[in-house]
Amino acid sequence: MSVAIIGVGVVGARVARQLTSSGISVLLHDERRDAQASLARSIRASGLADLTKLDPATTPIVVIATSSPQAPLAKLLLELGHHVICTSDDVEDTRELLELNDTARLEKRILVVGATACPGLSGLLIAELTPRVDTIDEIHVAFHGTGGPGCARQHHRALAGDAIGWHDGEWIDRPGGSGRELLWFPEPLGGKDCYRAELPEPLLLHRSFPDVSRISARMSATRRDRLTARLPMMSPPHAEGGVGGVRVEIRGSLNGERCTEVAGVAERTGIIAGAVAASVAMKLLEVTDSISGVVTLGDGRLNDRALLDDVIRRGITVFEYIGSGA
Amino acid sequence: MLRRAIAALSLACLFAAGLRLRGRGGTPPERGGWRELTRPPS
Repeated sequence: MSVAIIGVGVVGARVARQLTSSGISVLLHDERRDAQASLARSIRASGLADLTKLDPATTPIVVIATSSPQAPLAKLLLELGHHVICTSDDVEDTRELLELNDTARLEKRILVVGATACPGLSGLLIAELTPRVDTIDEIHVAFHGTGGPGCARQHHRALAGDAIGWHDGEWIDRPGGSGRELLWFPEPLGGKDCYRAELPEPLLLHRSFPDVSRISARMSATRRDRLTARLPMMSPPHAEGGVGGVRVEIRGSLNGERCTEVAGVAERTGIIAGAVAASVAMKLLEVTDSISGVVTLGDGRLNDRALLDDVIRRGITVFEYIGSGA
Repeated sequence: MLRRAIAALSLACLFAAGLRLRGRGGTPPERGGWRELTRPPS
């Protein structure tokens, strides 16, 4: 059994390395043939020139690690009989991926949407914190940092877009770059000013935790980021971002009292994304035919606890905040 | 008139500087911090 990875950028390369280190055979595909060949040589994987030659019997799982949009390719792969893992963090692309639920169910295949740092690990952390409270009223997610250049461009656009949020039973829109909040991430990140942005987290978390009344997502940004969000990127993005962070905060009640639980991670975003997508791929290799349709991390259908165990085993340290709310 | 305005402004600045230097007293207490996630056995 092997796993195909489409896109060998920062995230795709990390997923490939994680899977090969777990003894899983990997097929790589990228339009940049030189990058594909270089990574294939590096990790002793095979290259794949033509996606239609993928055989679901031997390669049941495909990870899409390209820039958005991923929905058209995901649909094609589902119809060809593969389970698909998507790493998109674009709101419109995520909406289209969620609409592929019927296609996935019809083909009796699984489509995992948002298997990356944020979205993705955030859902697993929230699922981990959920048993600590009796009820959850609010989920607030924030992240800092980027993976590769595609991720950096996506985040640049997100600050200029419309930020969605779930608020007391309805969707709300707010301008990207609004809603400044100083949020604390695990060291070495510390405090970061975070702002609303066009992020798919609320869509996915509302699906995973439908009873929660408020869900918001923010990303860290500097003054320059906010000022230049509506302009083209002034300088090309770095090949890979530095240490990034994911922070989740749940607010609810325990024994009749209000309480807050906070968890977070500080690691290179590409490494987090690679570990999460690889863990999901390993889990899908074990799954039976009883599950089909769209799966979001945190919805419980893929054993979120086991997924988080695997992510931690792959070197991602998860922290919790002790004391008053961060 | 101008001298009175300058005098009033100087007095206000001295007062504000005094308040700023004086502050509310002491370093704010630090509470809480990050620790590795504790997980109940599965």
